[in-house]
Amino acid sequence: MTAPLTQCLLRLIDENYTLTDYQSDTPPRWCTGCGDNGILTAVQRLCRDEQLSPEKTVMVSGIGCSSRLPHYMNAYGFHGLHGRALPVAEGIKLRRPDLNVFVTTGDGDCCSIGAAHWIHAIRYNMDMTVLLHDNEVYGLTKMQASPTSPRGLKSNTTPRGALLDPLNPLTVTLGVPNVSFVAQAVDWIPEVLFDIITQAYRHKGFSFVRVLQRCPEFMDHRFDPWIHDPLKTRLLVHAEGIQLKTDISRIYRNQETHDPSDLHRAREVASETEEIPVGVLYRNSAVPCYEDLREGERPNTPGLIRTVLNEEFDKFTIWPEDDGAAPPAE
Amino acid sequence: MTAMRTETAYKDDSVRQRGEVRNGDMDQVALDIGSPHLTDADAGPATGPALRPALFARYGDLSKLRYDFPLILVDGDGGGRFLQSLTSVVDGILRQIALPGAAAEPLRRHVLRLEGEIRARVSRGESDTLSRLWKRSAADLIAEKGESVFGPLATKLDYAREALHVDGAVIDCDADTPYRVLAHIWTAVQASKAKAFRKKVDALIMKLSDILKADFMKSDKAHTREALQSAIGTSFESAFDFAAMSHVLSRGPSEDRLSEDRRRRIRAVLQVLQSQRFYGPGRASERRPDQPEPYGFVFDGCAAALDAFRDRLPEMLDFVKVLTIAELEIQNKYRTELHDPVFARFDESDLSEDQLAHFPSYLVCLRDGHTDPAETVRAFETLASGLPVKVLVQTDDILGTTSPEPPRSSFGAGSARLAAMAAGLNDTYVFQTASANLYRSHDRLVTGMRYEGPALFAVYSGATPSAAGMPPYLLSAAATESRAFPTFVYDPAVGPDLATRFDITDNPQATVDWPVHELFYEDEALQRIDKTVPFTHVDFVACDTRYARYCAPAPRAKWRDDMIPAADYLKLAPERSVEHCAYILSVDAGNVLYRTVVDDKLIDVARHNADAWRRLQELGGINNSYANRLLARERKAWEEQKAQELAELRTAASPTPEEAVAPAEAVAPPILAAVAEPAEEPEPANPDEAWIETARCTTCDECTQINDRMFAYDENKQAYIADPDAGSYAQMIEAAESCQVSIIHPGKPRDPSEPNLKDLISRSEPFI
Ligand SMILES: Cc1ncc(C[n+]2csc(CCOP(=O)(O)OP(=O)(O)O)c2C)c(N)n1
Ligand code: SF4
Ligand code: SF4
Ligand SMILES: [Mg+2]
Repeated sequence: MTAPLTQCLLRLIDENYTLTDYQSDTPPRWCTGCGDNGILTAVQRLCRDEQLSPEKTVMVSGIGCSSRLPHYMNAYGFHGLHGRALPVAEGIKLRRPDLNVFVTTGDGDCCSIGAAHWIHAIRYNMDMTVLLHDNEVYGLTKMQASPTSPRGLKSNTTPRGALLDPLNPLTVTLGVPNVSFVAQAVDWIPEVLFDIITQAYRHKGFSFVRVLQRCPEFMDHRFDPWIHDPLKTRLLVHAEGIQLKTDISRIYRNQETHDPSDLHRAREVASETEEIPVGVLYRNSAVPCYEDLREGERPNTPGLIRTVLNEEFDKFTIWPEDDGAAPPAE
Repeated sequence: MTAMRTETAYKDDSVRQRGEVRNGDMDQVALDIGSPHLTDADAGPATGPALRPALFARYGDLSKLRYDFPLILVDGDGGGRFLQSLTSVVDGILRQIALPGAAAEPLRRHVLRLEGEIRARVSRGESDTLSRLWKRSAADLIAEKGESVFGPLATKLDYAREALHVDGAVIDCDADTPYRVLAHIWTAVQASKAKAFRKKVDALIMKLSDILKADFMKSDKAHTREALQSAIGTSFESAFDFAAMSHVLSRGPSEDRLSEDRRRRIRAVLQVLQSQRFYGPGRASERRPDQPEPYGFVFDGCAAALDAFRDRLPEMLDFVKVLTIAELEIQNKYRTELHDPVFARFDESDLSEDQLAHFPSYLVCLRDGHTDPAETVRAFETLASGLPVKVLVQTDDILGTTSPEPPRSSFGAGSARLAAMAAGLNDTYVFQTASANLYRSHDRLVTGMRYEGPALFAVYSGATPSAAGMPPYLLSAAATESRAFPTFVYDPAVGPDLATRFDITDNPQATVDWPVHELFYEDEALQRIDKTVPFTHVDFVACDTRYARYCAPAPRAKWRDDMIPAADYLKLAPERSVEHCAYILSVDAGNVLYRTVVDDKLIDVARHNADAWRRLQELGGINNSYANRLLARERKAWEEQKAQELAELRTAASPTPEEAVAPAEAVAPPILAAVAEPAEEPEPANPDEAWIETARCTTCDECTQINDRMFAYDENKQAYIADPDAGSYAQMIEAAESCQVSIIHPGKPRDPSEPNLKDLISRSEPFI
C-alpha cells in the first residue's frame, strides 16, 4: 500500500553492482577451457545488468562439475544432493517468492537421477531460471555415460560404446504440460548465451535453458564440427525471442525466424540433429505459476498455524449445545 | 409498476385475481361531489373508506408475494454479493436441485411453501438468520403435516437445505432497513479491506521477524546447548551431543550480524505493525493479551467522526511511515543517511489518497427527525473536506406536515437541490434512493462504499407514520415511481463531466414525467377494461392521511364528465383548468374503484415536484433543454442541406461510377530466412597487430593461464590483449592455438630477435 512511496525512496539509493560484486572469494576450479566458465560469466553479467541484489539472489545446484557454480557466485547458494536441485529451489521459491532463484544442473544431475523432479518442476512452472549444463557426460566422476551421451560413446560405464540413442532434453521439456519457456544456447557463442539467459530470467515461470557445454577434459573436440562451421548452428531469431547484433549475424548466417509461441514448430526444431538450433524455442507467458496458484488468502504466520490447529482440535471437542459447533472462525 | 415487479413462480394466479379491480359498489358513496373543487381545506380529514392508489390493487398482503424483500444480509464476502433476496436464493436452490418437469413438482412446491413460511415469520417481526429461520419453518411445516422428522417432507427439505450456501440476517422493509443495509455493506467492504490490509501487514511482520530470527541464529544465545536441544525436539534428542555442537558453533566467527541500529529499527517497526488499532487482528496475527481494542468507525454524528479522524491522524501517519520503512528494510535498502531525514520530516501532506484508502472509512448515520438538524449542515461540510466519510441520511417523511404551508418545499424538490449541491462538491459520491430499491441498488451501494473519497447516501425508508397502514415497501416504491423521491447517482470516479457522473436511469421510465402502468378492471357489465394509468405525485401524496382532507373519493355513480385525470389536468393551461376537476384512481379495501377528486393544493405540489424532476432529468442528460434546442437547429440545417443536395442531384447528369481500386498486393514476410544476407563488412583490423574478438570470448581461461599480463579480462569477463609486450610471440601463438573458439589473432612478432620466429610466423597463419 506504500509501494509508490517506497519506490520514491528507493530511487534515492544509488546502488551500482559491478560484475566483481557477484564473484565469490573462491576462484572457479573448473578445468581450463571448460564451458562452465562461460556460463558463470553470462550469469554474472545478467546479475549486473539487471542489478540483482546478491542478498536477493540464490543459486541452487545438485552435484556435478556444473553444480559447483554456486560456490563461485557471491549470492546465496545451496549445493544440494545429486539430482535434487529442483525440489530445493521449489521450496525456496514457495517460502521466499521475492528471491531470484537460479538452478544450475548437469545432464546427469537433471536428466538421470533427477529426471522425476525435472518433469514435475516443468509442470509446476514456478518462477525460476534453470540452466542445464549439458556436456553429454558425467564430468565430476570422470567420464561415465549420461542420458544425453551420443550413441557409441566409450566411457567408464560403456567401454564398448553407449548402446542407446541419447535423450533430447528439449523435446522432453516441450512435451510436458504447462511448459512455459524452453531455449537452447551453446557456451561458445557468449553474446547469444547471455541474451538467452536474459530472456529466460525475464520470463515469469519455469525457464529452461539447455546450454551445450564443452568438456575438454572428457569430451574434447565433441562440438568442434559446430564450432568450426558456423553454418551448422541455426540461430532462431524473432522479436519475441532473440535478435542478433551485426557481428554475430555476420558469422552465424544460418538463421531462422521462429515464433516462440509456435509449439509445434518448436518441437520440430528441437528434434534437429544435424544442426544445433540456438535461441528461444518456446515461450508462453499465460501459464500460471504454481506459487501464485497456491498463494493463500493470508500468510502462514505462526499465529495462523496455531489458530488453524486449534480449530481442528475444536472439531473433536464436545460442545454443550447441539447446533453450536466450534465458535465462528472470524 | 416496475418497481414492484413480482416474480411469478406461483403456479396458481391467485395474486392476479385478487388484484383485479371490481365494479364500484353503489352503496359506498362517501362524499357528495357538489362543487367542482374542494376548496375548503379546513374541512378536516375525509371520513370515507381508507383508499389506496388503484395501481396498488394487486399488492394487498405483501407477505404472500414474492418480491425483493425479505432481504438477506449475506455473511462473509458472498462472492461479492452482500445482499440477496429470499426469492432469488430459493430460486437458485430450485434451479440447482429441481429438474424441470412434473416429477420435481412436489419438491418445488414444498420449498416454495417453506419460503412462504419464512416470509410470514419475517413479516410478523421475527428477526433471525436465514439458517435458523429455515430450521424453525421446516420444523413447523413437518409438524403441521404430522410427519416424522425422517419422513418424505423432511427428506425433501433437507435436500434443499444442502443446496443453501448463503446465510445472514433476514430483514424486512421497515424503518430500520436503510441503516441495516448500509451498515452491512459498509462492514462487508471494510472486511475485504481489512483482509487485504492484514495480508500485507502480516507478510511484513513475518519477513521482518525472519530477519531478526536469522540474526538471532548467529548469536551465541542460539548456540547454547539448551537452544540447540530445544530446536531438535525430544524424539531424536539422544542422537546428538548438544554440548559438543554448541562448542563447535560458538567457536565460529560471529560475522554478518545486523547492526544494533538496524535491529532496533526493525523492532520498533514490528511494535507499530503489531499494535495498530485500525483493524482488528486477523486469524494470521498473534493475539497478544495487552493488545488495545481496535478503533470504532461508526458514528451518529459528523463532528464525532471528524474528531476521531483527527485524533488518529498521528497514528495513521506513523503507520504509513512504518510500512514504508518495513518495505525498505525487507529489501535491505534502508540507508540511514538518506532515509532518516525523509522520515523525520514526514507529515500529513505526505499522506496520499491511495494510502488513506487502505484505512477504514468512517460511517456516519443520520436520521431526519431524530438527529439534530444542524448535523445535516455539518454533513455537507464533512463531505466537502474530502475525507473518506460515508454519510447515510435516512428520511422517513418526505412530505412534511401540511401546515402552516402546504408541502411546497418538500424534500421531493429538495432532492434536485441535493443533487446540484453534490455535483458542486465535486468529489463526493452521492446516491439517493428509496428502501424498496436497495436490493437492486447493491452495486451502487458497494461502489459508493468502495469509493476512495466521501460518499452520501440519502435513503427514504417509506416508514412514514402518517401513511397509516401502508407498508414501507409500497410507500417507498411509490415515492420513486411518483418522482417524489427519485433515484439518482453522482459518481465522480466514472468520468470528468457531469453528463457521465450523473445518472438517473435507475428510475422507472426515466425519460417521461410520470411512469405509466397497465390497470385492468371490470366495469358494471363485468367486461374487462384495460387502461394505461400514470403514477403521479398526487397519487403518492394521497397515500398520506395528513392530506386526506384534500381528497374526496367519488364512487362510480358520482363520476362526471368534467373530471379529468390529474396527469392531464397538470398539463392544462391555468385558464382552462377552472372548467375541470382533477382526480386520481383509487381503490378501497375491497378493491372497489373510485375516482378521488383532489384539491388544487395537491396539484400545486405535484407541479412543483414535476419541475424538480425535469431539472433532475436535465442533470442526468435527459430532455436537456440546451441540447434539445441545439439538436433542433442542427436537424433543420441538415434537412435544408439534404434538400438542396437532392435538388442538385436531380438536375445533374447521372454520375459515373468510381473505379474500383485494386487492393494492394499482400506481401507475405518470409518465414524462413535460410541463410541471412551477410551484413556490411567491418573495418578491417590491422593484421600486424595482435587482437581478440572479445565479444566471442567464452572466458575459458586458456589464454589467461598462459600469460595473465598479456591477456586480461574486461568488465564483462571477456579476454582482450592487455599488453602485447608482456610476453613472447611464442606465448601469443600458443594462446591462439589453445583458444577453442579461435578468436585470438596474434599479429606480427614485435621482437625481431625472438628465437624460432620463422616457425612461429608459419604457425600464426591460420589465425590471421
Ligand atoms: C546419489 C548420488 N549418486 C551418485 C553420485 C555420484 N555422482 C556425482 S556427480 C555425478 C554425475 C554428474 O554428472 P553431471 O550432472 O552431468 O555433471 P557434470 O559433472 O558433467 O557437470 C555422479 C553420478 C552422487 N554424488 N550422489
Ligand atoms: S571435467 Fe569437464 S565439465 Fe568438469 S570441469 Fe573439467 S572440463 Fe568442465
Ligand atoms: S582462450 Fe579464447 S575463449 Fe578462452 S579466454 Fe582466451 S580468448 Fe577467451
Ligand atoms: Mg554432465
